[in-house]
Amino acid sequence: MTALSSRSFRSRCVALSAIVGLAFSLSIQAAEDRDTKVRNDKSKVEAGGNWIYNDFQKALDQGRREGKPILVTLRCIP
Amino acid sequence: MDQFVRVRLIQCNSLDLDLFQFDYDLTFAAFFLNADRTIYGRFGTRSSDTDASKDISITGFKKAMEGALELHKHFPTHRDVLQAKTGAPAKFKIAQDFPSLTGKYSPFLDYKGQVSRSCIHCHMLGEAARKDARGTGSMTDKTIYPWPMPNIVGLTFDPQERATIKAVAPGSPAAAGGFRSGDELIRFEKQPMLSIADVQWVLHQSNPPQTLRATVLRNQEEHSVSLQLSKGWRHPSDLSWRTTSWDLRRVATGGLLLKSLTEPQRSAAGIQQEQLGLRVEHVGQYGAHAVAKKAGFRKNDIIISFDGIKSNVRETELFAHVLRNRPSGSNVPVTVLRGGERKHFRLKIQ
Repeated sequence: MTALSSRSFRSRCVALSAIVGLAFSLSIQAAEDRDTKVRNDKSKVEAGGNWIYNDFQKALDQGRREGKPILVTLRCIP
Repeated sequence: MDQFVRVRLIQCNSLDLDLFQFDYDLTFAAFFLNADRTIYGRFGTRSSDTDASKDISITGFKKAMEGALELHKHFPTHRDVLQAKTGAPAKFKIAQDFPSLTGKYSPFLDYKGQVSRSCIHCHMLGEAARKDARGTGSMTDKTIYPWPMPNIVGLTFDPQERATIKAVAPGSPAAAGGFRSGDELIRFEKQPMLSIADVQWVLHQSNPPQTLRATVLRNQEEHSVSLQLSKGWRHPSDLSWRTTSWDLRRVATGGLLLKSLTEPQRSAAGIQQEQLGLRVEHVGQYGAHAVAKKAGFRKNDIIISFDGIKSNVRETELFAHVLRNRPSGSNVPVTVLRGGERKHFRLKIQ
């Protein structure tokens, strides 16, 4: 490998590392955004008090106690 | 709404799969239940990745809820027929029992860490079931074509109603069995129908060849009709909209998203109506989805032969062909048209 092509190879590696690093960082950021949405959604639903959040057994117990039918929604996390 | 105890489930980690059997490709599904776990009905239907309004509506949901309240009011009168709304015991009781998921997920979401990554999403259940069937050589039409849309037997339902038929396709099994446009399907295999999802449940559970019995309300009178299901009746199903088609593309096409050619595209490429013509809409770029890319496929290539298949079929048929006939690791020959020239590739099945 000549000095020139070696330098070129190194600079390509540096560029590639930067791109991979940026992509990784963006991916983490996107995941964090989604995680934040999930946490906020949980807080919001629990604070609203209209729905039991993610506890089927609690719904069964309440349904039995109150003689009501149970509506279960399965909704993907935000 | 206040007449129900309302619970929102957001994860499939530790979900009871004996009870919660539904179309795992949905992003929204609902169950109406008694507290003794008897299922009154299901809600949630999807046949497209873009337009949800053709399958579900708030009005339809409200009517399904009213139907559930009616069943609850008279419970346990219909308990015997409602038992059929619960499926056979699941092979894997919870999601983490699937071999492809076991050991990777905890029963609860990790709210303090990467919560979304700790979630077993609904579609992962369908993928896990398919992987298991593939690994154990037990692939069936039911696994390949889950939760068939009623339109494949000739029935189009009105999403604004519970299970009212909007159209019956001439010459279809539904037409032959006596269904008519405007009929309200009130019982299907004796089960009360609250929604299109309930219709799909009965279809999904069927074992052809089989004749399904139904009762419809027509001009305020009940009529008996039937639906004859022959072997292969699920095959017209479209899998391309399903979330799991992402994984199917990894398995069957090395990450290629394929679209059937339009008539003008066929004419331009000189491909006859009866010949295979699937255009590469997208080439997967990373990891296991980049197998086709690495093999040399490009966007806008037109596949004219796939593992010996040269007839005009959809992407769905290629998925089904691979799932049935080609084990992971096998190589299949594929011919494409690129700029009018034929190019030949070998594609590794995963």
